[in-house]
Amino acid sequence: MTNSILRTEKLCKSFSNGGVQQHVIKNLDMEIREGDFTVIMGSSGSGKSTLLYALSGMDKPSMGKVIFDGTEIQDMNNDELAVFRRGNCGFVFQSIYLLENQTVLDNVLTGALIVQKNSPELVNKAKELLRKTGLNEEAWSKYPSQLSGGEAQRVGIVRAVINDPRILFADEPTGQLNSASSRDVLDIFTQIHKNGQSIVMVTHDLKTALRGTRVLYLRDGGVVGDYKMPNFGEDDIKERRNNLNSFLEDMGW
Amino acid sequence: MGKILRLSLFNLRKNKKEAVAIAFLTLVSTMMFGIFAINLSKVSNAFDESFAQSGSVDTFIMIPDNDYREAYRDILEEDYGFEDVRNGHMLFGLATGVLRDGDKIAYNFTFLTEAENQKIDDGNIIEGMPDEQIESLDHWIILPSFFKYNLGYELGEDFTTVVGGRQYPFTVAGFYNSGLSNESGMLFKAIISPEDYRLLTPVYTESVFLSFNAGDDFNYREYFTRCMDESGDSFEGYAFPKEEEKANETNFLNMFLYMSIILSLITFVASIFMVRNKIRSDIEDQMERIGVLEALGYKGKEISLSYVFEYVVSSGIGGIIGGIIALMATPFMNNIISVMLGREVLSSAKIYMVVPVVIGVIGLILIFALNKARMVKQFPPVVAFRRGIRTHNFKRNVLPLTKAGKSINRRLGFKDSIRNIRTGAGVGLCIFLAGTTLLFCMFTFVMFFNGSDGLVKIMGMEISDDIITINEGVDPYALSEELLELPEVRMTRVTYNYPTFRVDGQKEGVVFSYDEYTDMEYIIPMEGRYPQHDNEVMISLRRSRDYDLSIGDTIVIDNNGVKTSYIITGVVGAMSNNQMNLYMTTEGFRRANGSAMPDCVEIYLEDGVNREEFESKLISIYGQSAETAMSGDDAGGTLEERIQAAASEKIAVLMSTYGVTSVDYAVRVGDQLITGNSRQFVMKELQSYHDLVKSQLDPIANITRMFTGVGAVAIGVVVAVILGIIASSNVKKRRKDLGIMKSLGYSSKDLMTQIAISIMPVTIAAVILASAAAIVINKVFWFELFGAYMKTNIPVLMLTDLAIIAFTFVMTYIGAGKIRKISVNELMTE
Repeated sequence: MTNSILRTEKLCKSFSNGGVQQHVIKNLDMEIREGDFTVIMGSSGSGKSTLLYALSGMDKPSMGKVIFDGTEIQDMNNDELAVFRRGNCGFVFQSIYLLENQTVLDNVLTGALIVQKNSPELVNKAKELLRKTGLNEEAWSKYPSQLSGGEAQRVGIVRAVINDPRILFADEPTGQLNSASSRDVLDIFTQIHKNGQSIVMVTHDLKTALRGTRVLYLRDGGVVGDYKMPNFGEDDIKERRNNLNSFLEDMGW
Repeated sequence: MGKILRLSLFNLRKNKKEAVAIAFLTLVSTMMFGIFAINLSKVSNAFDESFAQSGSVDTFIMIPDNDYREAYRDILEEDYGFEDVRNGHMLFGLATGVLRDGDKIAYNFTFLTEAENQKIDDGNIIEGMPDEQIESLDHWIILPSFFKYNLGYELGEDFTTVVGGRQYPFTVAGFYNSGLSNESGMLFKAIISPEDYRLLTPVYTESVFLSFNAGDDFNYREYFTRCMDESGDSFEGYAFPKEEEKANETNFLNMFLYMSIILSLITFVASIFMVRNKIRSDIEDQMERIGVLEALGYKGKEISLSYVFEYVVSSGIGGIIGGIIALMATPFMNNIISVMLGREVLSSAKIYMVVPVVIGVIGLILIFALNKARMVKQFPPVVAFRRGIRTHNFKRNVLPLTKAGKSINRRLGFKDSIRNIRTGAGVGLCIFLAGTTLLFCMFTFVMFFNGSDGLVKIMGMEISDDIITINEGVDPYALSEELLELPEVRMTRVTYNYPTFRVDGQKEGVVFSYDEYTDMEYIIPMEGRYPQHDNEVMISLRRSRDYDLSIGDTIVIDNNGVKTSYIITGVVGAMSNNQMNLYMTTEGFRRANGSAMPDCVEIYLEDGVNREEFESKLISIYGQSAETAMSGDDAGGTLEERIQAAASEKIAVLMSTYGVTSVDYAVRVGDQLITGNSRQFVMKELQSYHDLVKSQLDPIANITRMFTGVGAVAIGVVVAVILGIIASSNVKKRRKDLGIMKSLGYSSKDLMTQIAISIMPVTIAAVILASAAAIVINKVFWFELFGAYMKTNIPVLMLTDLAIIAFTFVMTYIGAGKIRKISVNELMTE
């Protein structure tokens, strides 16, 4: 049994829309375990992304607790949350969100230098990670607008893991990519997970979900299904797909 | 078109703060320009109107009675062809002390009777007591209007003059419109009764005045020279022409108005810069919307106009309010002008002077806005849909993070600074203009912080605590030694009573001469050295510049036809005495005027000595003036006192009439031996330039300090508004980047620091340039206006520079506070 790294207690998140309260997450209790590749799935509007942001300290819950490695983060102010995120969380976004005016290498270092001191080792680490994701030296000095979607997302992943976060959060990371690029990106995620990285990913894509080791299904603001799988590549892919499909069908997907 | 207007109104509603800021800057700009436009001519007109109403001649000259020759009047009539030259008598009191609220202030005064004053002006009473009330007063005085409007004197108030330690109390019976001599820097002309005129005659120098209308071309210096040539005598004459009176009264007011123009220019430039900056960021921000409008068939010109219309509203509101305030400020400005001129100012608000200003300011802002809004044309629909070329950045990576130092925030801030070089240039221009003005204000404010002390230092003359003018025959050196024995005295200097020398081919100059120039406190050469030999002279900066004279050049002094050459050894900044001073050794002075003996002893007191008490002590030891003693006013009650008074009168006659220098007497009355000597007649006059300088310069110092202080604060507010808006629009423009940075763990403080740092390179560069400009302006200003050499106050410069940089940082940091409102979630769901 692996250690719990993140858990919630009676987590609630609601939004006010034209004076009407919309309860997106309702009294949710859950936990994320260290070393897991947790995939959060659910139908559109089920609160997947909302849950991801609440878990990662990107957004504050309306009620309840988020306990990250023993620290309650729900009452932190915005600046405290920013400092908390630096060392603990990495993010990969669907829209990638690279800084348009910075080169590939500077984008990665922008994420790193707020946590670590500049050193040749750090720069080498950034270059090495970029190289591992298939971005060679020629790409390092390029600007985001000069990259393909897949290349840009790889930079996004490197930027997210450069600080060795406790958890890597990903929100539909292949949502804007073609299938070839998606596969490359998912391979990187799988590789990172094999190296021991805990990952929490939101997706509605079956192929993406297959990469996970645990699937949480969200409906009506709560987790209604929790499905576990072996590490990707350790079982038969067809059987893995069928099993996951069957779980999702049971969930009403 | 309706859609275009709706887009403008949408932008206005969306950017309320920016719209208010632009309205504010336009308001300040229009208000200041408006005040300048309304009042610049008013200052000149107010003087001219008041002068015309006074019925005054345009010039009068004053020559000591003993030195006056009828030929001098003939020269005016015959050589110059002036008609109706009138002459009369007046009493001249240099640095006459006046008591008010326990303080003694000194003014240069002339006193004359009403009949004599009629020879100069009509003596129109502005405010006065009825004749029967005046007649009931023992000693009445009618003062020029300056005392009412500037100094706040009231009818019936005591007006006690102090001469030679004796008080002469008057009651203010009225104020009259004095065309000439209504200015504290020169001379006041007060009307007194014939009885009081006779009473004061022994204590003041009686002078002859000649009054006439000379026109603009009359050169009184040339006239005096001609008179001296004619008679072969030298004399100390004074002239009071209208143009000098006007310049003296209006110079400072005009200076303040021109300073308001500088402030207007700063706000005006800032308004234009902000409008252009905002239009650019709005267009970039609303690129897709522009694309849609273009796709729907709207022309680029129509869309450009929609952005300009927004500024028609915001700058229009600001401009109109600014114009209204400028008009409404008329009574207030009238009051200020009235106080500064010391004259009545009645003028209604002239709307036709403000309207062009309002239209001009708004129009210019709109032209610049329209010019910027034309950038819409660069984005045809397809380009606009792709958000222009904004995202395609192929620039060289300046300041790469691989070489970042310890602070990532500093590095990112500097990177941002280079990326936004055009915005930076605009901010830099605003900071440069504001910084230059602020530095000038600070130099001036600090200089006047302790009242007139700062001005005293640039007068180019020693301001001792007291000056004793000695009677003829008295040995000034012996007196100097004797005075040094007094515990209150720190230092003494023997000198001449500021005589004037004519200089060949140049304006004459007041001569300062000392045995040696050691321990000088105010006469400090800015170039070269003090004169040491009898053929050396140091000259004022104005003389040096006007006649292109340098160290090593020679000037020729012409004393009654005797010409003596002197080599220039140094240059001194000097704002006193027409800025044309000469400085020599005593021996040097004698080369030009061998017959003259030093007749003054300047006394410097130890710290903490009460000057009033010390002056009383001096009077008790060295007595009253011979003229006063001759008048017999000091007769006491007892026999001994009456004998002493009679003896004093005799001694005074001997001294003043026969040139006797020393007298001892002994009178036996019964068993009593009454003795005395002429020692008490050592002192002819006792003056303090401290009081005179205080009265002449304190009002200037106070109003300048107030104006520069208010100016500095106003500039600070304008700069704060500009920086706040720049930072705020920077946040809006970089909203996405800032959100990404937040998601990476950058706190709001980190990002606000980056934005504040990003403005630092341009701020520092602008402050350095502003410092250089302010140093030059400060020097040129003081030289051109006062002939003074103004040293740069380095500590003030450094501190102000640091304050500007710190202020800029803090204001930008605060202005960037909008970052706090950007949540990462907002970014993700945008």
